[in-house]
Amino acid sequence: MTFRRRLLLLFAITVVVSVAAVTGIVSVMARRAFDRATDERTTALVAQFRREFQRRGEDVRHKTQGAASSTAAERIALAAAQTSPDYNSFLDDARVIADAQRLDFLEFADDRGTIISSAQWPAKFGYKEPLASGAPASAPFLREEETPSGTALGLFAIYALPAGDHKLFAIGGTRLDRTFLSSLDLPAGMRVMLYDNGANGAFASDRVITAGEPIPGAQLLAPLVQKLQRTPQDASAVVHWDSGDETVNAFPLIDERNRLLGVLLVGSSRQIYTELRTEIRSAALIASAAGLLLAVLLSSFAAARVTKPVEELAQAAREVAAGNLEAHVTARTGDELGVLADSFNRMTRDLIEHRQRLVQTERVAAWRELARRLAHELKNPLFPLQLTVENLLRSREHSPQEFEDTFRESASTMLSEIANLKSIINRFSEFSRMPQPQLREVPLLALVSGVLKLYEAQLQKFNIQPRSEVAGTGTIAADPELLHRAISNLVLNAIDAMPKGGTLTLRASQSHSSGRIEVADTGSGLTPEECERLFTPYYTNKAHGTGLGLAIVQSIISDHGGRISVNSQPGQGTTFIIELPAGREKLAVENTHA
Amino acid sequence: MRRFNLLWLAASSLLWAVAACAATRPHYGGSLRVAMREMPQAADPTSLIQAGASNISRLIFDTLVVLDDRGQPQPWLATEWQAEPGDQRWRLSLRSGVSFSDGAAMNAAAVAVSLRSANPEWKVIAAGDTVIVETDVSHPDMPLELTLARNAIAHGGGPQPSGTGPFSLSQWLPAKHLTLIANDQYWGGRPFLDSIEVDFGRNDREQLTALDLGRIDIAEVAPENIRHARADGRSVASSNPCDLLALVFAAPVRSEEETHARNALALSIDTAAINNVVLQGGGDPTGALLPNWLSGYAFVFSPPTNPGRARQEPVLAKQVASFVLGYNVADPVAHTIAERILLNARDAGIALQLTTSGRPDMTLTRIPIASANGQIALMELAKALQLTLPQSAGGSATVLYSAEKTLLQSRRVIPLIHLRQGVAVRLAVHDFNMRPDGSWQIQNAWLAEKP
Repeated sequence: MTFRRRLLLLFAITVVVSVAAVTGIVSVMARRAFDRATDERTTALVAQFRREFQRRGEDVRHKTQGAASSTAAERIALAAAQTSPDYNSFLDDARVIADAQRLDFLEFADDRGTIISSAQWPAKFGYKEPLASGAPASAPFLREEETPSGTALGLFAIYALPAGDHKLFAIGGTRLDRTFLSSLDLPAGMRVMLYDNGANGAFASDRVITAGEPIPGAQLLAPLVQKLQRTPQDASAVVHWDSGDETVNAFPLIDERNRLLGVLLVGSSRQIYTELRTEIRSAALIASAAGLLLAVLLSSFAAARVTKPVEELAQAAREVAAGNLEAHVTARTGDELGVLADSFNRMTRDLIEHRQRLVQTERVAAWRELARRLAHELKNPLFPLQLTVENLLRSREHSPQEFEDTFRESASTMLSEIANLKSIINRFSEFSRMPQPQLREVPLLALVSGVLKLYEAQLQKFNIQPRSEVAGTGTIAADPELLHRAISNLVLNAIDAMPKGGTLTLRASQSHSSGRIEVADTGSGLTPEECERLFTPYYTNKAHGTGLGLAIVQSIISDHGGRISVNSQPGQGTTFIIELPAGREKLAVENTHA
Repeated sequence: MRRFNLLWLAASSLLWAVAACAATRPHYGGSLRVAMREMPQAADPTSLIQAGASNISRLIFDTLVVLDDRGQPQPWLATEWQAEPGDQRWRLSLRSGVSFSDGAAMNAAAVAVSLRSANPEWKVIAAGDTVIVETDVSHPDMPLELTLARNAIAHGGGPQPSGTGPFSLSQWLPAKHLTLIANDQYWGGRPFLDSIEVDFGRNDREQLTALDLGRIDIAEVAPENIRHARADGRSVASSNPCDLLALVFAAPVRSEEETHARNALALSIDTAAINNVVLQGGGDPTGALLPNWLSGYAFVFSPPTNPGRARQEPVLAKQVASFVLGYNVADPVAHTIAERILLNARDAGIALQLTTSGRPDMTLTRIPIASANGQIALMELAKALQLTLPQSAGGSATVLYSAEKTLLQSRRVIPLIHLRQGVAVRLAVHDFNMRPDGSWQIQNAWLAEKP
């Protein structure tokens, strides 16, 4: 990743994290403030519910007392006072009295617990009413009442009236239903619901009572209600309705035996908070976008100031690495980057000077080596020439009669040495005038076989075992004479390396894009230093060599666009590896020109 | 002056004596006002009977045969009858000189048309003054069957056919009002009343209120109100317990578990409490189809109420069978009885559900007794329950008992209570009687005061 991108990323992260942190803090503070307000309103509403509950309780108590004071109730009491009471004619009395008193529930029962008349379930006459025994509760109480359509939650009161030696119980009540809930004064954004727990305890949506229309999706309240069914304690939860979120506080309604009869659910809309949160998030989003834009601009500016000199330095370094020591960096500032640019420029200047010095040194060394080799090469034939001329002069002075024989012998020797000198001069001349390769399609197998056949007698003479390993019948584009000459040179070197015999292996293989030829011997091998200098012109480790053989091979291979390498270890033989490009496209071009 | 006073006193006494004597002696005239809860849609015998207004049907239409007080067939429009061997062909001789209220003579052809209409499966042939009735199977009870109100003779089709009864139709507003006027040509003699006004669709409370206000003369009284109506000082006539209140199952028993379940249900129902409290003693708890006064053996099928035994019925059977009980939603008493049955069944561990729509497993049904003859009443009851009455010979109590026992053992019906019928009558109405089977004797009634 570039420095510019890192810089941009750093700016962006800084901006986003900062905005997110501020947004989070503001959101949390807003939520806490909203929750506090909700708690206060819920507490007030629950208090109002309890006040209404007490007021309704008193109302029920008065109405039940009124029912017990009615003429019909007195008739029932009169019947209950009998030793063998006949309750048959009171079936509808409770219903009539309940209608008159506007009670939802009313039962008359004697002190044996027998229901005499029931308004909510007339067919229950003769059944037992557990409340009609002992001392009646003085205060109104909650109760789950059984009705033909199921159980119903109600607020009840009991009144006992004397019936001779017995008592008659009037048990009246009103439903805790939507009428009750609608009497509560609710703040804006709040609503109250009542869950009638019923008998079996399983959550049922139709048991959720509201002051208005039934709640669609009331099933969402199930987890909260079930929580109170397990543990009847105050609880709250956020319910996600289709219309929005709502905080619902649940308060258990329990009877005197601590059984959960119902759950008061106070809902507080989170719409205000949701809107506030949305606004905060929108603002944060805008701030983030603006920050990111700013980050881009700042990073671009900073990059322009900081990364451009660095990039110029990097580019200059790449040029230097590619060999262009003339690369130069302009120092625009006097800071660390300016110092770095100056140092770089100084470094390139030093490198140029060192290179020039090195070139001069190498040139001098080369000339010295050339002079040494020339002196050495020329000295060998010149010394016999000098001896022959001196022998001729000596022979003419001391034995003229033998001069003729000596002259012929000396002339022959001198011609031989002159030919030797000429040969030396030709080799140097040949090295300096290496011809350009004339590419043709050369079969590898034929090439290898031809070379081995040429030196077959010589190999046999030195007890060297030839071996040919040619994979396939591929061809490469090459100058057959130059390539033959190069491989022959390598074979001659191999023969020289194995004076006591050995194995000479020529391998050839070809891929789609290149050809590979290996010449391997089992001779004494080369040291790493020798391998390093092997292709240097005029370098040789042989007594009679000119040091131009491998240089010529390298030149030929290089002219073919290939490369030559050596792999050798002392005592383990030497392998020369020639890699040539297939070069068919060049061949096609040359054929076209032809 | 003193003589004048004595003369005045003597004259007043004479006038009072004459007036008192006139008030207690039958006399013609007056219009009897009747209110009924039923709402018949047509004034033909079948529609009136199906709507529960067979008492009105008897005022307009006569049958060929009637039952006497002992439940035996007596000649009416038919003067005699005779069966050919095998009891598949009956010849009935018709009373002469009888005409329908529309003026048409009652002859064999008219009777044949009427009987064929009521009994499509019969082959009825008019032969001079006689009518021949042929059936595919033996019909030894043909005279008894001809006493049924549905076999009353009507003339003319449509919603207002003519009859040969003591009254004829004058005004007909379906389901609302009916005006009958005395049939001056009635072969049994003109009735005392000039007319009868019948208001339909009035509930019991409306009827009793109208009666107390003097707006009507006769009001129907439901069984549960008979005691209250009497306690309030009204003149109430009631029948013997006759209409059967029962649980009628829609399907026959399919398994032994279901038999146990139905037995448990029958055992669980506290019919005495229902009768005493809900019906205010307006009936008799029963385990029989026919009331005891009609069959003489109903006490043998005593009410099976036994919650303890109900709870002991195999638990598996009660779990297998969960019943849905239907009832008439317009009848608040039926509603209370159904709820009581639900409570009783629940005590016995039977799952019961009430419904007022759909297809319940059983229905709380009130089935009127169609005849004062036990044999024909059981036959009609079986027909109403869609049960097949076992073939039996004769109408002896033993045969009837055996047939009824077979019907009960099918467990298609659980008898609960035989209900009384009641009518509240103003004191001004004289010679109005209610027979034991609940039918009205109104053709001899007369009013003590001029309308």
